[in-house]
Amino acid sequence: MRVFPLSLAACVLMAATLAAVVAWPGQAGAQQAAPASSAPLTQQDIARMLPATDMGAGHGHGMATYTAATHPGDTSTATSFDAASIPTNPLMPKADPIGSKTCIACHTQENIQASHSLHVASFRAGSERSGPQAACETCHGPGSEHAKNPTAPGSIIAFTHDSKTPPAEQAKVCLGCHAGGARQHWTGSIHELRDLSCTDCHNPMARVSPEGVLAKPSINEVCAGCHQDIRAKFNRRSHMPLPEGQLACTDCHNPHGTITKPLLKTDTVNETCYTCHAEKRGPFLFEHAPVRQNCLNCHDPHGSNQQTLLVAPIPMLCQQCHTMTRHPNDLQTAAGMGTGASPDERVMGRACLSCHTNIHGSNNPSGSKFHK
Amino acid sequence: MHALEAKVLIFGIGVACASCAFAGDTSGTMRVGDMQFGNALDPRGWTPMLYPADPDGMSYLHAGMLRTPTGLPYRFPPAAADVKPLGKATDWTYSGVVELGFIHVGGGRNAEFFRQYADWKSGFALGLLALDFQNAKTGQYVELRGSRLSGDDQFYRLRAGQYGRYRVEAFYRDMPHTVSTNAYPLWNGVGTSDLTLPSPLIAGASTPGQVAAAHAGSSRRTIGLTRTREGIGIEGTVWRNWIGSASVTNEKRSGTRLWGGSMFFNYPFPDNGGVLETVRPIDFRTTDVNLSVRNVGRIWRFMATYTGSFFRNNQDHLNFESPFRLYNVVGTPQVADIKYGQFSLEPDNDYHNVRLDLSRELKGNGQFTVAAAYGTMRQNDALLPPTTCTGTGGIFIAPPVNYTFNCADWNTTNALSQKNANARIDTGLIDTRLTFRPTPTFGWHANLRWYREDNKTRYLAYNPITGQYGYISENGSQGSIVPGESGIFDPRNPLLHSANVTVRNVPYGYTDTLFELGGDWEVAPKQSLSATYTFDHNQPKYRERKRVDDQRIKLAWVARSVGGATIRASYEYASRTGDHYNYDPYKQFFSESLAGFVDPVTGIAAHTVDDMRKYDLSDRTENKARLILTYPWGDSTTLSATFYGSRDRYDTQIGRQNTSTTGATLQWDWQPTPATTMNVYLGAEGTRLGISNVADNESLIGSNIGQTNPSLGGPLYPYANQWWEFDRERNSNAGLSFSHDFGRVRADVSYNYSGSFGHVGYNYASLAALAYHGPNAAAAAGDSFPDNSYRSNSVDLGLSFRFTNQLGMRLFGRYETGSFTDFHYAGFDNTLDYDHRVYTDKGPQRHYSASLVGAMLNVKL
Repeated sequence: MRVFPLSLAACVLMAATLAAVVAWPGQAGAQQAAPASSAPLTQQDIARMLPATDMGAGHGHGMATYTAATHPGDTSTATSFDAASIPTNPLMPKADPIGSKTCIACHTQENIQASHSLHVASFRAGSERSGPQAACETCHGPGSEHAKNPTAPGSIIAFTHDSKTPPAEQAKVCLGCHAGGARQHWTGSIHELRDLSCTDCHNPMARVSPEGVLAKPSINEVCAGCHQDIRAKFNRRSHMPLPEGQLACTDCHNPHGTITKPLLKTDTVNETCYTCHAEKRGPFLFEHAPVRQNCLNCHDPHGSNQQTLLVAPIPMLCQQCHTMTRHPNDLQTAAGMGTGASPDERVMGRACLSCHTNIHGSNNPSGSKFHK
Repeated sequence: MHALEAKVLIFGIGVACASCAFAGDTSGTMRVGDMQFGNALDPRGWTPMLYPADPDGMSYLHAGMLRTPTGLPYRFPPAAADVKPLGKATDWTYSGVVELGFIHVGGGRNAEFFRQYADWKSGFALGLLALDFQNAKTGQYVELRGSRLSGDDQFYRLRAGQYGRYRVEAFYRDMPHTVSTNAYPLWNGVGTSDLTLPSPLIAGASTPGQVAAAHAGSSRRTIGLTRTREGIGIEGTVWRNWIGSASVTNEKRSGTRLWGGSMFFNYPFPDNGGVLETVRPIDFRTTDVNLSVRNVGRIWRFMATYTGSFFRNNQDHLNFESPFRLYNVVGTPQVADIKYGQFSLEPDNDYHNVRLDLSRELKGNGQFTVAAAYGTMRQNDALLPPTTCTGTGGIFIAPPVNYTFNCADWNTTNALSQKNANARIDTGLIDTRLTFRPTPTFGWHANLRWYREDNKTRYLAYNPITGQYGYISENGSQGSIVPGESGIFDPRNPLLHSANVTVRNVPYGYTDTLFELGGDWEVAPKQSLSATYTFDHNQPKYRERKRVDDQRIKLAWVARSVGGATIRASYEYASRTGDHYNYDPYKQFFSESLAGFVDPVTGIAAHTVDDMRKYDLSDRTENKARLILTYPWGDSTTLSATFYGSRDRYDTQIGRQNTSTTGATLQWDWQPTPATTMNVYLGAEGTRLGISNVADNESLIGSNIGQTNPSLGGPLYPYANQWWEFDRERNSNAGLSFSHDFGRVRADVSYNYSGSFGHVGYNYASLAALAYHGPNAAAAAGDSFPDNSYRSNSVDLGLSFRFTNQLGMRLFGRYETGSFTDFHYAGFDNTLDYDHRVYTDKGPQRHYSASLVGAMLNVKL
């Protein structure tokens, strides 16, 4: 019943072989071509090649059980994955588990790749003590029908583009273990409502990202798969250091669902901003209404063509609201530039902010106009 | 380490250690920050671990890679890392990679955009150090990851744990931020809280010529800061299904930023006033504490989180010397000697937030979720005196017209009604959500959210020494130039009993109640429609409206198999209305609300034009649409595109009038084999913002009853003074990347272009609308500012050689060039001194080019 150590050994062996092959491109090319050049397998071929199941699938024996009798002397504690259950496949409700040995007989390469991912590695940890249930079928559902008829749509729970399993069912499988916590608000979130599946962002079958079992090598690349326009904003003159690798979309957003529409990790926009810009939190003796209400009134956190992520050039930004008597409401023109006919501090450099510098709020008793 | 940090650190560790058991999952995506460790050399932070790709791909059963449910291709996985046993009698194995080498940086040393968030330096660099230890039997692991470009641009992170049981993490990172490489501060003491003038300049007694001469000798400086963060965290099971997490992070932010300095206007008073661009110190320290405990059951899910944040600013003020002599505008001998300016810098603050989340599965495939939170942000910093002036401030005209004040009565904290800020804002949140999916093809949800922000700060600007109200404007400079504008209201003094000045803070706050009802239907296999109605009822405090209602309908269509493509389209329409708009709700915060205030003969000037509607409160209609298309084109190619647009119309004559955005992106991905990938993308976006404003007839101020008329078209705000302005921006992006593995050599090429163009245009009813009315005003104004633009082109080339399984070499290079123009900095290349204005930053370089070449030895450990 020690399926995994054998497969693991096979894995390591194949990895070593592959690594050697990689070093010699000519051989690597030949190795790569071999499976592709083979004639497609028929279902009879597959049935003939399949090993006997290691779980007695189809014979009413149910799942194998790890017992003291089968593993005398093992006093180590089981891992938390040992109790992982096998979900029912709604499209094949009568299918039985067959054990990963059977799966791996065909999915050899998948096994190798999955063995390197955090997800499967965690399942494997200690699994030799618990039997094979915490393996392929924990996510893909019982595989007996798939083994009998591998090309039948929906014969197992699949997580890819052509899958017959609806995204909601796919997510249900993942949430079987990953419910709560960061995913407490998945249900009803925008990503859930738009029929996204966990595997739109994650690929637990390969170690494409060294952590997070992501579908692409980094969080930002994953998000940019759909949010291309947002990613492009980060190329603008002022931006947060996302292209420079210092920041990820998930620093501010929780794609698994939150109680805010933009999937912010905090209760409001400002609370998210204050996490890094704690100096802006105050409260200040004198507050600036739009600042306290919402940082997005003046800033676009994804990127801007203006300085400091401003949504419009100053003084225009300020003059959207400041029509008050005297100096705020004059039309500033090219005449006010440093090269203009009448240089004007309301246009030049930091413009309004040259004087109203403490625009995020002032703690000075004389700071009601943010001069101090 | 500060005492506070030490305490929270010990507390965090204590909680963490008490919770060592096992956990099912981590809470990383619950906390803000530190999700990404990378740098400009390797934004992913682990790229060397991903190559070479496994030539056998993902499966022997099919060629190529499968696709995500949406249709994007999964990436070919990398070849397995060489895993080695750590010893003979252990189950531990290890793998690792170290990439170490030399970088040479060429081209413009001051290329600001090239260095904005990267501390490029010629010399040795650690590209990546990654060490992974695993015990396949127990599931225990230890991971170390690090990279170093320089002492200000590096990260190191250590993680250890056991799959499914617990995880501990510690990290250290430095992140640079260059604000300007083109700064020429006039002052000595940059980086401190006291800026002094260089010799031979004398505060309050220097001429513009002398200032310009001294400034010409200033050295170029880089303005910027470094964020240094360190943190520890642990997550594990406390008891049975109760999982706890604790983390403490500490950030030190040090450096400088560009700042201001106001000694009153210069534009209306040639050779008077002072507008100074100074430099302030950044010396912050923030400690964050995150604690959580959760229970995940089949029916109930519970989570409690505590977030604490403690900000400390080691510099509470910025003092600066102003070089210019000030004159009063009435021409009497100047009795005031105002030569210093001061800013209060951000106060220390404490933040606490406790939140409880509870979810319950319901019969009928439903779920009920409620979240409730209480938060408070507080600060009680000692207040600075209203001014730092000494001697006499203000203007003496002739007895009894004496607008002077004794600085000694105001430059002490005894001049304050309270010595500390005692500022506090409390927040409350209740969010409930009910979701049902009674049939596989139909679901509905309802959401009710209530949020309140209650500002409890109360401050009265009252001077117990003098019995006067108000403050000292611009450290005394304003009142020493314009009679009666010192900022003081005195009901006993006929000269000041009509001064309408701020005497109270405005404790802005709001209550927001949101209701949402939505449903979705699967109209066909892999096709669904959804509709959502949202009613957002906002009740701002001390704003122009007491009620703002935003109603929104959103329709969405998701089709996951339209000729193999996935389409996600949405359209939303929103309408915002509200109650009566009060153009001046602020009277209660001005001295006109105090006993003893005497209305001037000509009345009080209107606060603003009554047709003004602030854009966060005004009536508005909004239309937004978005379409995201993903099309798998054959086995190895993918086309994806986004089309989006929005149109906002504001129902107002004065203020923001409209905004619009139209954009599209197009991307082509090709990965025919594990050895080859290619990507091409294009993007374009256009935006427009239009506003209208009206210049007041300043000749009426203080002299004509017409100044009290707030009406558009009235004497103070005549139609002839109205003006319109629009900002039109165009952005375009293009890029190409190609990578091919030839066996022993992998080649990477990428090119990226980013361009933006901004045009601010305007028109006006008459010349009276203009800030500048002088000779040839119309010609000087034109119809627009010169266009702003920003363009960057970068090319990256890389060659990675594999000498053996363990040893490789990466040669790489980058060439980046760009251009920049911004009308705000026009002329600054020639001079930073304009009469009584002194600027520090010349702005980013108009043209720059920079290059980078490097060689990195790659060793698999």
